Amino acid sequence: MGAYAIARSGALGGVVAVIAALGALMLVVVLWRDWIELLAWALLTGAGAYASTLFLDHHHVDGAAPLVATALLVCGELAAWSLDARWHVAAEAAVLRRRALALGALVLAGLTASAIVVALAGVNAGGGLALTTLGAAAAVAAVGISVALLRRA
Amino acid sequence: MTRFTSPRVAGYAWVAAVGLVAGLATARVELVALGAPFALAALAGAVLARDPRIEAQLSLDRPRALEGEDVRAAVTLTSPEGSEWVELVLPLPEQLHALERNPRAVGLAAGEPREVELPLHCERWGAFAIGPLFLRGRDALGFHSWETQAGEAQPLRVYPSVETLHALLPPLETQVFVGNQVSRTRGDGIEFADVRQWAPGDRIRRVNWRASARRNELWVNEQHPERNTDVVLFVDTFAEVRTGVRGTHDLAVRAATSLAHRYLQRKDRVGLISFGGHLSWLLPHSGTVQLYKIVDSLLQSDVVLTFAARGVEILPPRTLPPKALVLALTPLLDRRSAKTLLDLRARGYDLVVIEVSPVEFVTPAPDPLSQLAYRVWKLSREALRVRYEQAGVPVVEWREGLPLNVPLEEVAAFRRYARPARA
Repeated sequence: MGAYAIARSGALGGVVAVIAALGALMLVVVLWRDWIELLAWALLTGAGAYASTLFLDHHHVDGAAPLVATALLVCGELAAWSLDARWHVAAEAAVLRRRALALGALVLAGLTASAIVVALAGVNAGGGLALTTLGAAAAVAAVGISVALLRRA
Repeated sequence: MTRFTSPRVAGYAWVAAVGLVAGLATARVELVALGAPFALAALAGAVLARDPRIEAQLSLDRPRALEGEDVRAAVTLTSPEGSEWVELVLPLPEQLHALERNPRAVGLAAGEPREVELPLHCERWGAFAIGPLFLRGRDALGFHSWETQAGEAQPLRVYPSVETLHALLPPLETQVFVGNQVSRTRGDGIEFADVRQWAPGDRIRRVNWRASARRNELWVNEQHPERNTDVVLFVDTFAEVRTGVRGTHDLAVRAATSLAHRYLQRKDRVGLISFGGHLSWLLPHSGTVQLYKIVDSLLQSDVVLTFAARGVEILPPRTLPPKALVLALTPLLDRRSAKTLLDLRARGYDLVVIEVSPVEFVTPAPDPLSQLAYRVWKLSREALRVRYEQAGVPVVEWREGLPLNVPLEEVAAFRRYARPARA
């Protein structure tokens, strides 16, 4: 994902490389020190490296965004699974298979959701103010849910 | 069950929120697309949160085992909701170890009981409480987990293995009950003792006709009767020296078990005194029940530090029957046990001291002062042995790896050339 971002970055290659490397480093720290709390920051940094390349081309929607999003999700889930495996709990084959299937289903669903978002962006729908309001409400709701989940955790 | 949520659930929600807000602010749909899978994952985390309410029962196939044997522990799991990932771990003491994976993760279907077997190998003796289990149920993606302890602790007694003893120490004097030990006294028995003149009341079958013909008057045979023995095992628990699980107390318990087993097999009466920080005793009795009582008491014995003065006077009188053979298993580390044993000898008890040698468990430091202290310590032990021998008490050193028959044979050899001094 980082390599794709660097390849798209053109003149900003150095800056994007630094951000991507920082994200990778944070991921390494997550795996090395078992700091699951740092995982979201590592993913955000990686997403930031990709996001910074988007502003080089204002006219076209990058169709690879769903793949980038899915790659980040897979990265996060595999990192979490790796940390779980350090408990040295011998799992039955059926249990591992179920987890792998569940992860696969989540990744597929995430890819689909992301692709739908990108596809809908190409639809010329009216009601711009209503849609903007709806989007802002969704953003507020997302932030509220995050706070609620943080408190529960 | 106590619920725990992975921090990544909240982290994913934050990533989704940041993506959505950034997308709105910059009018870039790609940023919203970046956040969409994470929003879905956070939503999945909330939907999958379901307390599995796992219950577990722990059982052992038997409550007693010998060293080196295997015991099967069975865990029965049930859950009304089911769980795709259930981790269970059975904490075990260092004297036991699991022959299969522990901890392990299994799947549990809703409403269906699942039995998980865990064979345990009993490496060393002891009295243990196996359980309770620690359980953790997770959802399929590991977003949430629920933990609890379940199952009641099950008692398990692992008995020390018994060493084969070819010969036992005979007592100086036997008891009045019938047994398997040839007594020094004269009476009805099998072993020939002597001949004497006939006295009114003697039976005709006891007449020694050859001696009678030679002397022209009736002479009868006398035999040594078979009598039983009272044996008291005196285990010194004031102090011990150990390396890991091996130590002088471990050796003393093994020796006491082997001796009790062999003497009780011979229909003798065996008692036990555990003399140390925690005092316990068993009155001499015979039979298999007594063997189990003695071994159970030994399993629970432990070296407990105490500074209290202890002597013979605190022992109940019936624990030391008159003319009993007292076999002391002691590392000769504590002055109180040494004094008590000399006191017993002074009271006329038939005493044998088997010194469970702590020397091989001690590694002195290489510096000259430590080496000197080590030599002085060994000399003081030698001086204590000489004190016992001067009192007529056989003291034999028994080291780990040496069969118990060896010190018993040394005691027999000592007694061939020593005679008890009576006041």
